[in-house]
Amino acid sequence: MASSYATCGILALAGLLIAASALAESTPDETKSSQLSNHRFSAVLESEAAYGITRDRADKMEMVLDPQWEYRWSEDTRITGIARLYTEGFDHLEPGRLSQGEVSPNSRRLQLGDRTDIELREFYLRTQLWGMHLTLGKQQVVWGKTDGLKLLDVVNPQNFREFILDNFDDSRIPLWTLNAELPIGGGNLQFLWIPDRTYHRLPQAGATFAFSSPLIVPQAPPGVAVNLRPLERPNNIVMDSDIGMRFSRFWHGWDLTVNYLYHYADFPVFFQSVFLAPGGATVTVNPRYERNHLIGGSVSNAFGNLTVRGEAIYNTDRFVLTMNRRDGDGVIKSGEIAYVLGLDWSGIQDTLVSFQLFQSWLLHPADGIVRDTLDTTSTILLRRHFLNETLETEVLWLQSVNQGDGLIRPKISYELRDNLKIWTGFDLFYGDRNGLFGQFDRNDRLVIGMEMGL
Amino acid sequence: MRLHMQNLFIALFLLIPLSVSDVAAESLLAGEEIARRINARNEGEVVSRFITMAMTDRSGTERVRETKSLRKYFGKEKRTIIFYLSPSNIKDTAFLTYDYPEADRDDDQWLYLPAARKVRRISASDRGDYFLGTDFTYEDIRKETKVGIADYSWKTLGEETIDGHRCFLVEEIPVNEKTAQELGYSKVQSWIDAEIWMVRQAKYWDVAGNPLKTLQVREITLIQDIWTAHQLSVENHKTGHKTVFTFKDVNYGQSVKDEMFTEDALRRGY
Repeated sequence: MASSYATCGILALAGLLIAASALAESTPDETKSSQLSNHRFSAVLESEAAYGITRDRADKMEMVLDPQWEYRWSEDTRITGIARLYTEGFDHLEPGRLSQGEVSPNSRRLQLGDRTDIELREFYLRTQLWGMHLTLGKQQVVWGKTDGLKLLDVVNPQNFREFILDNFDDSRIPLWTLNAELPIGGGNLQFLWIPDRTYHRLPQAGATFAFSSPLIVPQAPPGVAVNLRPLERPNNIVMDSDIGMRFSRFWHGWDLTVNYLYHYADFPVFFQSVFLAPGGATVTVNPRYERNHLIGGSVSNAFGNLTVRGEAIYNTDRFVLTMNRRDGDGVIKSGEIAYVLGLDWSGIQDTLVSFQLFQSWLLHPADGIVRDTLDTTSTILLRRHFLNETLETEVLWLQSVNQGDGLIRPKISYELRDNLKIWTGFDLFYGDRNGLFGQFDRNDRLVIGMEMGL
Repeated sequence: MRLHMQNLFIALFLLIPLSVSDVAAESLLAGEEIARRINARNEGEVVSRFITMAMTDRSGTERVRETKSLRKYFGKEKRTIIFYLSPSNIKDTAFLTYDYPEADRDDDQWLYLPAARKVRRISASDRGDYFLGTDFTYEDIRKETKVGIADYSWKTLGEETIDGHRCFLVEEIPVNEKTAQELGYSKVQSWIDAEIWMVRQAKYWDVAGNPLKTLQVREITLIQDIWTAHQLSVENHKTGHKTVFTFKDVNYGQSVKDEMFTEDALRRGY
């Protein structure tokens, strides 16, 4: 009920802002009317299929239709709505009916069966008022610029039904947000208020990409029963909202940002308690979301053929599973400093060579934690265009330095027509099954896909 | 007396070619002067227009992109932003470039890719790379109908008529090997309209010295007292690929906010 009030409040505020903005603005520019009507409708149809090489089965047959409608009220004011019809032929990624316990009621998908659902992906009003750019409604807010993995891009939660293999634009879960951007001091100050209490969508047991790595989920010893309690999701619209701020500026050739986010980390924390009974031990797992302050920043610049990108963050409250049986709840809390350094080299025409180094330090490690105090992951992206960028080839390689496991993603895509693209590629996992990537070693797959703009 | 007259006639005959050559030499401007006049031509402090980008491969398959382009001068610095409007699968792709007047200063440019919703910084040394599948290079996009004076040594070859317009034919050779590699050309020949100081035609040779592409500039008209090209077409002789930019609804009088030329504007879209 409180969530519905929040939605109604945002929509009412949107209506008021439309009226105020309309009064403040001049007549729409006549030159645009000859080129663009006030209404704009478009759609993107995407289909992708995957064959599991190791499992020797078809893993996915996905069809996604994203119709988009936009109404331009004036030069500065418009309303955008993006819906999604999603259907999947084999029901392996999100088997059965979804509980959607991690999703705020007003953000949930409407399920039309086990394999089909529809949802309002994004719906927002964008306008200018008192010198501010306002975006009000369900939207994606993207911080950070990394490939493959994320560091600063944590404002929106993610659907992990395909681990990290989906386009981030598709896997990111839009949130009902008030997004205000104010040009100030030669830069741009952004303020976010996110009353939408929606968190990461984690695959359920039995799904193709269900997590099994001890880095993510608790591991019960053999013979011990597990009682998994329902998710406890924050439900107070005021006290449990997320807020964020970002200041960005282009300064002497440098793209600079400073970021702050006070949020519930989107991964639940699996607090554990052990109950000993004559018949045996039972571990009760209570997943809860915990607050965190994220303070960070980013830089980028270009020097000749080389572009340098960097992001760094400090998390005040990072929760890590521990195997120390003497620990009362199976979880330790620590501060974390993490950074990524990216180097993009384009010394060969139509070619990009990109390298990234991710490192994370736990500031207060404890005995028995499931990860190393210093965790390192590297990525390499090779991309080359041919035939006036109608043909694109790329390989993305991600590897954990600590665990030795990784993921290799070669892909080739071809633009058949101006609105039609096809592609094929592989997702190849390797390494120890306890690793983040190695846990999916049996999920190697061949992928083919098609995208059409309507 | 007869011998003396014969000598006089011979002398006059020999002088005639020299005189004509001198007269011709006086009417041919130096290449650098022509380049300066091209760049001095008024192209407006601000311009807003829609650009249709039609790309056709050798088999005749055509791809069409509809875009909105804004350009604004910040002092002597020129900023250009291009928003892709259609087709819908590349909608919201956007490109931003800052073209600095200093010859030794690398330009800055950014590309927004909606599939990831992230802005990527692009190396400025990619001047000779082709812009998003077109036959125009990033440098061509930044300069439009202007030229990079410091990148070439300029030589006037003569006068020719293009579409009924008197033009100076100028040859441009990159000043050094590094510049040639960056730009992707070993030689450029341009036909510059002698009245409005705009390139009407240009031919390019690749770094190996082979014919690369031909640019045609058409439908040049006065809009708000500014000479405006409404069509730029490039044919790539190596690949058979052709690109035609058609400019519509060109408006030099529209007020465009400074904040439209920022990375944040790329993400917000048009």
